Amino acid sequence: MPVDLPRAEMRTRTRSDTAPEERTTLETEGPWCTVVWNDPVNLMSYVVFVFRRYFGYSRVVAEQLMMQVHEDGRAIVSRGSREKAETDVQAMHSFGLQSTIERAGED
Amino acid sequence: MAHAFRRRPDGSLACRLDGEEKSIIAQVAQETADLIRGDLGIDAGGDALRRAAESEDPLRRLEAEFAGREARTPSDSAVRRLFPAASEDPDLAAEYRRLGQRDLAEGKIADLRRIMSILDATGGEHGEVVLDEDEALSMLRALNDVRIVLADRLGLQRDGDFDTVRMLQQIGEQVEGAESSGDDEHVGSDIVIAVYELLSWLQESLLRALD
Repeated sequence: MPVDLPRAEMRTRTRSDTAPEERTTLETEGPWCTVVWNDPVNLMSYVVFVFRRYFGYSRVVAEQLMMQVHEDGRAIVSRGSREKAETDVQAMHSFGLQSTIERAGED
Repeated sequence: MAHAFRRRPDGSLACRLDGEEKSIIAQVAQETADLIRGDLGIDAGGDALRRAAESEDPLRRLEAEFAGREARTPSDSAVRRLFPAASEDPDLAAEYRRLGQRDLAEGKIADLRRIMSILDATGGEHGEVVLDEDEALSMLRALNDVRIVLADRLGLQRDGDFDTVRMLQQIGEQVEGAESSGDDEHVGSDIVIAVYELLSWLQESLLRALD
Protein backbone atom coordinates (compact mmCIF):
# COMPACT_ATOMS: atom_id res chain seq x y z
CA MET A 1 0.00 0.00 0.00
CA PRO A 2 1.23 3.51 -0.62
CA VAL A 3 2.90 4.88 2.49
CA ASP A 4 2.53 8.59 1.89
CA LEU A 5 -1.07 8.94 3.02
CA PRO A 6 -2.09 11.31 5.77
CA ARG A 7 -2.09 9.03 8.79
CA ALA A 8 -4.20 11.38 10.86
CA GLU A 9 -7.19 10.52 8.67
CA MET A 10 -7.28 6.99 9.97
CA ARG A 11 -7.67 8.16 13.53
CA THR A 12 -10.31 10.72 12.76
CA ARG A 13 -13.36 9.81 14.77
CA THR A 14 -16.71 10.31 13.18
CA ARG A 15 -20.30 9.47 13.93
CA SER A 16 -19.97 6.22 12.06
CA ASP A 17 -17.68 4.97 14.85
CA THR A 18 -20.68 4.31 16.99
CA ALA A 19 -22.26 2.15 14.29
CA PRO A 20 -23.85 -0.93 15.85
CA GLU A 21 -22.17 -3.45 13.53
CA GLU A 22 -19.06 -3.62 15.72
CA ARG A 23 -17.55 -7.08 15.66
CA THR A 24 -14.18 -7.36 17.28
CA THR A 25 -13.25 -11.01 16.88
CA LEU A 26 -12.35 -12.79 13.67
CA GLU A 27 -14.15 -15.96 12.76
CA THR A 28 -11.98 -18.74 14.08
CA GLU A 29 -13.87 -21.81 12.86
CA GLY A 30 -12.96 -23.96 9.91
CA PRO A 31 -9.95 -25.32 8.09
CA TRP A 32 -9.66 -22.71 5.29
CA CYS A 33 -8.31 -19.17 5.37
CA THR A 34 -8.70 -16.08 3.22
CA VAL A 35 -5.36 -14.28 2.89
CA VAL A 36 -4.96 -10.69 1.69
CA TRP A 37 -1.54 -9.68 0.32
CA ASN A 38 0.17 -6.31 0.26
CA ASP A 39 0.39 -4.43 -3.04
CA PRO A 40 1.62 -0.96 -3.98
CA VAL A 41 -1.71 0.31 -5.32
CA ASN A 42 -4.51 -0.11 -2.80
CA LEU A 43 -4.86 2.87 -0.47
CA MET A 44 -4.69 2.10 3.25
CA SER A 45 -8.02 3.83 3.78
CA TYR A 46 -9.55 1.72 0.99
CA VAL A 47 -8.33 -1.56 2.51
CA VAL A 48 -9.79 -0.55 5.91
CA PHE A 49 -13.03 0.41 4.15
CA VAL A 50 -13.25 -2.99 2.41
CA PHE A 51 -12.59 -4.96 5.63
CA ARG A 52 -15.21 -2.98 7.51
CA ARG A 53 -17.74 -2.99 4.72
CA TYR A 54 -17.48 -6.60 3.60
CA PHE A 55 -16.61 -8.47 6.81
CA GLY A 56 -18.37 -6.05 9.16
CA TYR A 57 -15.21 -5.73 11.26
CA SER A 58 -14.88 -2.82 13.67
CA ARG A 59 -12.62 0.05 12.71
CA VAL A 60 -9.98 -1.15 15.19
CA VAL A 61 -9.90 -4.72 13.83
CA ALA A 62 -9.94 -3.51 10.21
CA GLU A 63 -7.05 -1.12 10.86
CA GLN A 64 -5.04 -3.84 12.64
CA LEU A 65 -5.53 -6.21 9.71
CA MET A 66 -4.63 -3.48 7.22
CA MET A 67 -1.41 -2.71 9.14
CA GLN A 68 -0.58 -6.42 9.26
CA VAL A 69 -0.98 -6.64 5.47
CA HIS A 70 1.13 -3.51 5.06
CA GLU A 71 3.93 -4.49 7.45
CA ASP A 72 4.04 -8.30 7.18
CA GLY A 73 3.03 -8.46 3.51
CA ARG A 74 -0.07 -10.55 4.26
CA ALA A 75 -2.82 -11.20 6.77
CA ILE A 76 -5.47 -13.85 7.31
CA VAL A 77 -8.72 -11.92 7.13
CA SER A 78 -11.23 -14.74 7.58
CA ARG A 79 -11.46 -18.47 8.30
CA GLY A 80 -14.16 -20.97 7.64
CA SER A 81 -15.36 -23.65 5.27
CA ARG A 82 -13.75 -23.85 1.85
CA GLU A 83 -16.93 -22.45 0.35
CA LYS A 84 -16.83 -19.44 2.66
CA ALA A 85 -13.15 -18.80 1.94
CA GLU A 86 -13.83 -18.99 -1.81
CA THR A 87 -16.69 -16.53 -1.48
CA ASP A 88 -14.48 -14.18 0.54
CA VAL A 89 -11.58 -14.39 -1.94
CA GLN A 90 -13.99 -13.62 -4.78
CA ALA A 91 -15.25 -10.60 -2.84
CA MET A 92 -11.69 -9.38 -2.18
CA HIS A 93 -10.92 -9.73 -5.90
CA SER A 94 -14.07 -7.77 -6.75
CA PHE A 95 -12.63 -4.92 -4.66
CA GLY A 96 -9.26 -5.28 -6.38
CA LEU A 97 -7.37 -6.67 -3.38
CA GLN A 98 -4.79 -9.40 -3.92
CA SER A 99 -6.20 -12.42 -2.13
CA THR A 100 -5.73 -16.18 -1.96
CA ILE A 101 -7.38 -19.14 -0.30
CA GLU A 102 -5.26 -21.53 1.76
CA ARG A 103 -5.64 -24.38 4.21
CA ALA A 104 -5.40 -23.40 7.85
CA GLY A 105 -1.96 -24.12 9.28
CA GLU A 106 -0.12 -23.54 5.99
CA ASP A 107 1.33 -20.26 7.13
CA MET B 1 -10.26 21.98 -11.33
CA ALA B 2 -11.63 19.10 -9.27
CA HIS B 3 -13.31 19.57 -5.89
CA ALA B 4 -13.22 16.71 -3.38
CA PHE B 5 -16.21 14.51 -2.60
CA ARG B 6 -18.41 15.61 0.27
CA ARG B 7 -21.50 14.15 1.92
CA ARG B 8 -24.59 16.25 1.20
CA PRO B 9 -27.42 16.72 3.73
CA ASP B 10 -29.59 14.21 1.82
CA GLY B 11 -26.86 11.55 2.24
CA SER B 12 -25.68 11.57 -1.35
CA LEU B 13 -22.02 12.12 -2.24
CA ALA B 14 -20.95 14.92 -4.55
CA CYS B 15 -17.75 16.13 -6.13
CA ARG B 16 -17.03 18.68 -8.85
CA LEU B 17 -15.02 17.83 -11.94
CA ASP B 18 -14.25 19.81 -15.04
CA GLY B 19 -15.06 18.54 -18.52
CA GLU B 20 -11.54 17.36 -19.22
CA GLU B 21 -11.29 15.43 -15.94
CA LYS B 22 -14.61 13.71 -16.63
CA SER B 23 -13.61 12.74 -20.13
CA ILE B 24 -10.22 11.43 -18.96
CA ILE B 25 -11.83 9.28 -16.26
CA ALA B 26 -14.47 7.99 -18.68
CA GLN B 27 -11.76 7.22 -21.22
CA VAL B 28 -9.51 5.24 -18.86
CA ALA B 29 -12.59 3.40 -17.55
CA GLN B 30 -13.51 2.47 -21.13
CA GLU B 31 -9.95 1.34 -21.86
CA THR B 32 -9.90 -0.79 -18.71
CA ALA B 33 -13.21 -2.45 -19.65
CA ASP B 34 -11.95 -3.07 -23.21
CA LEU B 35 -8.70 -4.50 -21.87
CA ILE B 36 -10.55 -6.95 -19.61
CA ARG B 37 -12.96 -7.99 -22.36
CA GLY B 38 -10.19 -8.38 -24.90
CA ASP B 39 -7.86 -10.36 -22.69
CA LEU B 40 -10.48 -12.69 -21.22
CA GLY B 41 -12.25 -13.08 -24.59
CA ILE B 42 -15.55 -12.08 -23.07
CA ASP B 43 -17.29 -10.77 -26.16
CA ALA B 44 -15.87 -13.47 -28.40
CA GLY B 45 -18.79 -15.51 -29.70
CA GLY B 46 -21.11 -14.05 -27.10
CA ASP B 47 -24.12 -14.02 -29.39
CA ALA B 48 -23.39 -17.40 -30.90
CA LEU B 49 -23.06 -18.84 -27.41
CA ARG B 50 -26.33 -17.30 -26.30
CA ARG B 51 -28.10 -18.82 -29.32
CA ALA B 52 -26.51 -22.19 -28.59
CA ALA B 53 -27.55 -21.95 -24.94
CA GLU B 54 -31.15 -21.44 -26.05
CA SER B 55 -30.96 -24.20 -28.65
CA GLU B 56 -33.39 -27.13 -28.77
CA ASP B 57 -30.45 -29.46 -29.20
CA PRO B 58 -29.21 -30.64 -25.77
CA LEU B 59 -25.70 -31.26 -27.13
CA ARG B 60 -25.41 -27.68 -28.33
CA ARG B 61 -26.65 -26.45 -24.96
CA LEU B 62 -24.04 -28.56 -23.22
CA GLU B 63 -21.36 -27.21 -25.54
CA ALA B 64 -22.44 -23.66 -24.77
CA GLU B 65 -22.30 -24.36 -21.07
CA PHE B 66 -18.72 -25.60 -21.28
CA ALA B 67 -17.64 -22.78 -23.57
CA GLY B 68 -19.15 -20.29 -21.15
CA ARG B 69 -17.15 -21.80 -18.33
CA GLU B 70 -13.85 -21.69 -20.12
CA ALA B 71 -11.73 -19.22 -18.18
CA ARG B 72 -8.32 -18.41 -19.48
CA THR B 73 -5.49 -17.10 -17.36
CA PRO B 74 -5.06 -13.45 -18.36
CA SER B 75 -2.08 -12.80 -20.63
CA ASP B 76 -1.82 -9.07 -19.94
CA SER B 77 0.08 -8.27 -16.74
CA ALA B 78 -2.47 -5.64 -15.65
CA VAL B 79 -5.40 -8.02 -16.18
CA ARG B 80 -3.51 -10.63 -14.13
CA ARG B 81 -3.44 -8.11 -11.29
CA LEU B 82 -7.20 -7.64 -11.61
CA PHE B 83 -7.79 -11.40 -11.79
CA PRO B 84 -5.04 -12.86 -9.62
CA ALA B 85 -4.59 -16.58 -9.00
CA ALA B 86 -6.75 -17.44 -6.00
CA SER B 87 -4.38 -20.15 -4.78
CA GLU B 88 -0.74 -21.17 -4.95
CA ASP B 89 -2.03 -24.60 -5.95
CA PRO B 90 -2.38 -24.38 -9.77
CA ASP B 91 -5.27 -26.89 -9.90
CA LEU B 92 -7.23 -25.02 -7.28
CA ALA B 93 -6.46 -21.70 -8.99
CA ALA B 94 -7.66 -23.06 -12.36
CA GLU B 95 -10.84 -24.46 -10.82
CA TYR B 96 -11.46 -21.15 -9.16
CA ARG B 97 -11.05 -19.27 -12.44
CA ARG B 98 -13.49 -21.64 -14.11
CA LEU B 99 -16.11 -21.07 -11.44
CA GLY B 100 -15.70 -17.40 -10.66
CA GLN B 101 -13.73 -15.43 -13.22
CA ARG B 102 -16.64 -14.75 -15.54
CA ASP B 103 -18.81 -13.30 -12.76
CA LEU B 104 -15.89 -11.30 -11.44
CA ALA B 105 -15.22 -9.84 -14.90
CA GLU B 106 -18.88 -8.99 -15.43
CA GLY B 107 -18.99 -7.22 -12.07
CA LYS B 108 -15.90 -5.16 -12.87
CA ILE B 109 -17.16 -4.25 -16.33
CA ALA B 110 -20.58 -3.30 -14.88
CA ASP B 111 -18.89 -0.95 -12.36
CA LEU B 112 -16.77 0.65 -15.10
CA ARG B 113 -19.80 1.08 -17.39
CA ARG B 114 -21.82 2.52 -14.56
CA ILE B 115 -19.34 5.30 -13.75
CA MET B 116 -18.94 6.05 -17.46
CA SER B 117 -22.67 6.57 -17.83
CA ILE B 118 -22.83 8.66 -14.62
CA LEU B 119 -20.05 10.91 -15.95
CA ASP B 120 -21.68 11.08 -19.40
CA ALA B 121 -25.00 12.10 -17.86
CA THR B 122 -23.42 15.18 -16.23
CA GLY B 123 -22.42 16.59 -19.62
CA GLY B 124 -19.14 17.99 -20.85
CA GLU B 125 -19.03 21.09 -18.66
CA HIS B 126 -17.48 21.68 -15.26
CA GLY B 127 -20.08 20.49 -12.81
CA GLU B 128 -21.24 18.36 -9.95
CA VAL B 129 -21.16 14.56 -9.99
CA VAL B 130 -23.66 13.15 -7.49
CA LEU B 131 -23.67 9.53 -6.32
CA ASP B 132 -25.88 7.49 -4.06
CA GLU B 133 -24.27 4.98 -1.68
CA ASP B 134 -24.44 2.11 -4.16
CA GLU B 135 -23.01 4.21 -7.00
CA ALA B 136 -20.24 5.33 -4.64
CA LEU B 137 -19.26 1.68 -4.15
CA SER B 138 -19.12 1.18 -7.93
CA MET B 139 -17.04 4.35 -8.20
CA LEU B 140 -14.57 3.14 -5.52
CA ARG B 141 -14.14 -0.27 -7.16
CA ALA B 142 -13.88 1.17 -10.68
CA LEU B 143 -11.34 3.84 -9.69
CA ASN B 144 -9.34 1.15 -7.94
CA ASP B 145 -9.38 -1.18 -10.95
CA VAL B 146 -8.27 1.61 -13.28
CA ARG B 147 -5.49 2.56 -10.83
CA ILE B 148 -4.34 -1.09 -10.80
CA VAL B 149 -4.03 -1.01 -14.61
CA LEU B 150 -2.18 2.35 -14.60
CA ALA B 151 0.13 1.14 -11.81
CA ASP B 152 1.01 -1.88 -13.90
CA ARG B 153 1.83 0.35 -16.88
CA LEU B 154 4.01 2.51 -14.62
CA GLY B 155 5.81 -0.62 -13.41
CA LEU B 156 4.83 -0.18 -9.75
CA GLN B 157 5.82 -3.36 -7.92
CA ARG B 158 6.50 -2.38 -4.32
CA ASP B 159 5.43 0.19 -1.77
CA GLY B 160 7.11 3.50 -2.50
CA ASP B 161 7.57 2.81 -6.23
CA PHE B 162 5.16 5.58 -7.17
CA ASP B 163 7.21 8.10 -5.17
CA THR B 164 10.28 6.97 -7.11
CA VAL B 165 8.46 7.31 -10.44
CA ARG B 166 7.33 10.80 -9.51
CA MET B 167 10.81 11.80 -8.33
CA LEU B 168 12.36 10.57 -11.58
CA GLN B 169 9.73 12.51 -13.50
CA GLN B 170 10.66 15.70 -11.64
CA ILE B 171 14.36 15.17 -12.25
CA GLY B 172 13.51 14.54 -15.89
CA GLU B 173 11.65 17.83 -16.07
CA GLN B 174 14.59 19.71 -14.60
CA VAL B 175 17.00 18.14 -17.06
CA GLU B 176 14.64 18.84 -19.93
CA GLY B 177 14.21 22.40 -18.70
CA ALA B 178 17.99 22.90 -18.70
CA GLU B 179 18.58 21.28 -22.06
CA SER B 180 15.14 21.99 -23.53
CA SER B 181 15.31 18.66 -25.32
CA GLY B 182 12.22 17.63 -27.23
CA ASP B 183 11.99 14.19 -25.65
CA ASP B 184 8.53 12.92 -26.51
CA GLU B 185 9.07 9.53 -24.93
CA HIS B 186 8.34 10.79 -21.44
CA VAL B 187 5.16 12.59 -22.39
CA GLY B 188 3.11 9.37 -22.33
CA SER B 189 4.20 8.33 -18.86
CA ASP B 190 3.78 11.92 -17.59
CA ILE B 191 0.10 11.68 -18.52
CA VAL B 192 -0.24 8.26 -16.87
CA ILE B 193 1.36 9.66 -13.69
CA ALA B 194 -0.99 12.66 -13.68
CA VAL B 195 -4.09 10.48 -14.23
CA TYR B 196 -2.96 8.04 -11.53
CA GLU B 197 -2.60 10.93 -9.08
CA LEU B 198 -6.00 12.37 -9.99
CA LEU B 199 -7.73 8.99 -9.52
CA SER B 200 -5.90 8.29 -6.23
CA TRP B 201 -6.90 11.70 -4.91
CA LEU B 202 -10.52 11.25 -6.01
CA GLN B 203 -10.74 7.77 -4.47
CA GLU B 204 -9.25 8.98 -1.19
CA SER B 205 -11.66 11.91 -1.10
CA LEU B 206 -14.64 9.60 -1.68
CA LEU B 207 -13.44 7.30 1.14
CA ARG B 208 -13.22 10.28 3.50
CA ALA B 209 -16.70 11.46 2.55
CA LEU B 210 -18.07 7.95 3.15
CA ASP B 211 -16.34 7.56 6.53
